[in-house]
Amino acid sequence: MPLRLPHSPTPGLPHAVTHRVTHSLPHGTTNTVPLRLTHSPPPGQPPRRTLWGRAPRERGLPLWQRLLVAGAVAGAAGALWLSLRGQKERERQARRRAELRALAVGQGEFRLRDQEGRPRRKADFRGSWVLLYFGFTHCPDVCPEELGKLSQAVELLEREPGLPPVQPLFITVDPERDDAAALGRYLRDFHPRLLGLTGTPEEVRAAGKAYRVYASPGPRDEDGDYIVDHSVLIYLLGPDGLFLDCYGRGKSAQDIARSVRRHMGSYRPLPRDDDGHDGQ
Amino acid sequence: MSAPTMEERKACWGSRDEFWQCLDKHADDASKCEKLRLAFESRCPQQWVKYFDKRRDFLKYKKKLETEGYHPPEAAGKS
Repeated sequence: MPLRLPHSPTPGLPHAVTHRVTHSLPHGTTNTVPLRLTHSPPPGQPPRRTLWGRAPRERGLPLWQRLLVAGAVAGAAGALWLSLRGQKERERQARRRAELRALAVGQGEFRLRDQEGRPRRKADFRGSWVLLYFGFTHCPDVCPEELGKLSQAVELLEREPGLPPVQPLFITVDPERDDAAALGRYLRDFHPRLLGLTGTPEEVRAAGKAYRVYASPGPRDEDGDYIVDHSVLIYLLGPDGLFLDCYGRGKSAQDIARSVRRHMGSYRPLPRDDDGHDGQ
Repeated sequence: MSAPTMEERKACWGSRDEFWQCLDKHADDASKCEKLRLAFESRCPQQWVKYFDKRRDFLKYKKKLETEGYHPPEAAGKS
């Protein structure tokens, strides 16, 4: 930095620097002049100060380059934020799918027998789409209606090429009267692949509980006949065994078929578990 | 006692529907529809007759709600 005479301002320096200045004078003489403590401009000139009390730079980057740098920094920050957000979302989805997988295995379990007497568990239906209905064979009107609707929905889906088959399933809420033979007789009138399940009262109660089914046998008459009051729903289970949807009395067979088709379209298999069960 | 077959169910429903149509025609005057009532009772299990009677009451009540609206019963002594 060139030596400056005391009366001219030194750019960039907030405070004066005092030092002794010696400059050559005619031979033999020296003169030391202390610098003044403040930078005052030479008389006549306006003070050059910025907001921070500093004198502004005379030259810097042009505006367009500064905008470019600012834009690049903003872009990088935005990209980082998006990637972090994406990562967080992926982690959340992975956690969710792990929860769903655990739920698919544990939820909605049943151990019953079909109308041929063969033991059937929920795991036996892994890999299949299932439409499940709880009812009883002595049902006056609701169960035949709902089973008719269920059968029709399955038929509609069968007619569409490229869709996986749907397994229609019936579980009784009246184990006392609905044994394998009774189920066989009753279900003959509906879809040919409709499978009926029954078991001991404890097994049937456990199955109903797993699906939050309400069932309450009414008073018996002198013939020992009674009607079981029960909740009316058709449940859709996915190939992982996960409960996906349910359809009440207001839904038609077409509504059900349409909904099942939509679920099939958006279905993504849950990840495999350690012992190799992957829903196949 | 085994459950009614599909044919028996349809026969029961048919006789129920005939009886109900008669009641609709005669403003629920059961005395005008006695023959159909007997047919209905013979074709359907006793439990189903009771069930369908209750169902008819419910359907009529529902219709009344839909056409006339809901009028809460007057409760004496309650604010």
